[in-house]
Amino acid sequence: MTPTRAATNLGADEVFSALADPTRWRLLNLLATQGEGTATTLAEVMPVSRVAVTKHLAVLDRAGLVRGRRRGREVRYVVRPERLEATARWLAGVASEWEMRLSAIKRIAETG
Amino acid sequence: MVPDRIEREITIDAPVDRVWDVITQAEHIGRWFGDAGAEIDLRPGGRFTCTWSEHGTVNAIVERVDRPRTFAYRWARPLGAEVKPDNSTLVEFTLLPDGTGTRLRVVESGFRTLDLSDEERAKYAAGNVEGWKQELDELIGYVARRAA
Repeated sequence: MTPTRAATNLGADEVFSALADPTRWRLLNLLATQGEGTATTLAEVMPVSRVAVTKHLAVLDRAGLVRGRRRGREVRYVVRPERLEATARWLAGVASEWEMRLSAIKRIAETG
Repeated sequence: MVPDRIEREITIDAPVDRVWDVITQAEHIGRWFGDAGAEIDLRPGGRFTCTWSEHGTVNAIVERVDRPRTFAYRWARPLGAEVKPDNSTLVEFTLLPDGTGTRLRVVESGFRTLDLSDEERAKYAAGNVEGWKQELDELIGYVARRAA
């Protein structure tokens, strides 16, 4: 049994850290539902300042969760699904390892 | 708030005491967890290591020993690293009698607190947690529908 959770990283740590903040989680969901957004348009619907939104977007960008493209004076952000999908796959791997371990525990307990 | 916990349950046709031994004794842990042996000092704060022949040894610290109901430990990653608050997740086993058998539940939590500051960790540890993966799947679903 390969210990996925212990042996590999795949950037999942960085993703979890980036998403640990509720504001960033909300920003990412907003971007996902709206398709794209700028610090200005996002700040209009968030209870935080444009400066704060810009900082949070930078953290999401560093974690590979969003991509920004400059258009004139503003940067338009979109969600990059690859990193999220990799994180979901990683979590699914951790879960399936537990299923295998529980099955092994059951086998040992029932048969000695 | 992003939840971060994985929960799995299984019903075992063996009494609680038997299941307790399987999850807490080194000779058994070396079979269901690793494949090349395990060592455990079964008391809170006790050292717990488990080895895979091809990958190496993982370090863990026993957190709770409440025989035969609860067994919890915190394990570090990557393999070989010592357990610290910012590199470990918590694994909690709960055993419940179910007729003549046992319902065994395992919860692994704390993925999102990896690499956070103490202050951040304390802040988020207070939150309510549930299926991380479900949240992520929903978000990925949004993105996929937008892209379609």
